[in-house]
Amino acid sequence: MVRLTDKAWSPYLAGALIGLLQVPAFIFLGTALGASSSFVTVSASLAELVDPGIQALSYAGRYLDGAKNWWQVALVGGIALGALLSATLSGTRRSAPSPVWARALGTNNAAARFALAFLGGFVLLFGARLADGCTSGHGISGIAQLAVSGFIAVGAMFAGGIATAMLLRPVR
Amino acid sequence: MSIISAIALGLAMGIAFGFLLEKSRVFEPGVIVGQMQMRNFIMLRIFLSAVASGLVVLALGQLTGIIPKLDPKATLYGAQLLGGFLAGVGITLAGACPGTILCQVGAGYRDAIVTLLGGLGGALTFAYLEPILKPILLTGSPGRLTLHGLLGLPFWPLAIGFAAVLVVALVAMERWRPWRSELGENADGVLPPAERADERAKAAAAPARV
Repeated sequence: MVRLTDKAWSPYLAGALIGLLQVPAFIFLGTALGASSSFVTVSASLAELVDPGIQALSYAGRYLDGAKNWWQVALVGGIALGALLSATLSGTRRSAPSPVWARALGTNNAAARFALAFLGGFVLLFGARLADGCTSGHGISGIAQLAVSGFIAVGAMFAGGIATAMLLRPVR
Repeated sequence: MSIISAIALGLAMGIAFGFLLEKSRVFEPGVIVGQMQMRNFIMLRIFLSAVASGLVVLALGQLTGIIPKLDPKATLYGAQLLGGFLAGVGITLAGACPGTILCQVGAGYRDAIVTLLGGLGGALTFAYLEPILKPILLTGSPGRLTLHGLLGLPFWPLAIGFAAVLVVALVAMERWRPWRSELGENADGVLPPAERADERAKAAAAPARV
């Protein structure tokens, strides 16, 4: 049985339910699930406070206003709330970095992990914006629409991810 | 749709999305790095399941007219190859994807807040560099190419067929290695080191000494 207090649900069930979220996205917004453009909306809105000229950039300007952009910001913010709710119900709230990092990096040094987290986040979003999508937008949404862009981007993501992971220590 | 209702809808969908990402364990750095080292396949199981169900609901949406138009992204070979590769490097180093960063923040991982700040910095840097990158990498798109478009077929039969292939692949994957065996003691995808697991399997298989 599937309970809200379970630590883990079958990945097939959870994945299939995530796919169903495409229905409200298309019906109400005419678009698919995505996550990475919200990082432009939020960061450019913050930058606008000190640099109003950012509105004039055609790329950044496209992400500042409008229902679709703020829908995605709310979606991504909601992810944190949903995760908090689920982890609280199952008693799997986390605090320290995952033990996988001590294995993969060969060190328990917190500064090393935090530096890598910043660098990883930076490269992740820079790359995702260059590619015009991430594992959500190009992955679960692009491939579900049989978009050529999705197949190319996901192939490249796995290539980059696997190449980098091979440089780390084996995690098991 | 007004901004307020879009935000309310986004929040509701996001809570469901985050809940499912957390329950599926795909947000765990151990699961994501394990997938990239081909030692843990939970991420692929979820990913392919989400694609399969997305294919089916979009095919049904097209057939019934509830979803009259899809929204595939334009193809840009250079940007998607290079950007995708960089995003992949970031997925491994961060142990997260853009969506799962927030899932990690919600679950409490402290380093995820730093990943989030790095992500905002990366997105903003791209926004400022976009005018320079545009002539090099972001022009000359052949349009919103799709497989069904290239083959000159309607979307739904191809989508249903592809979804069926994915379901078969997932069934085969579960037979090869059940998902629960990849979960780890703390449901974080961190498994005992392979050598130790091998030894234990050997010890279990060896006849007991009297």
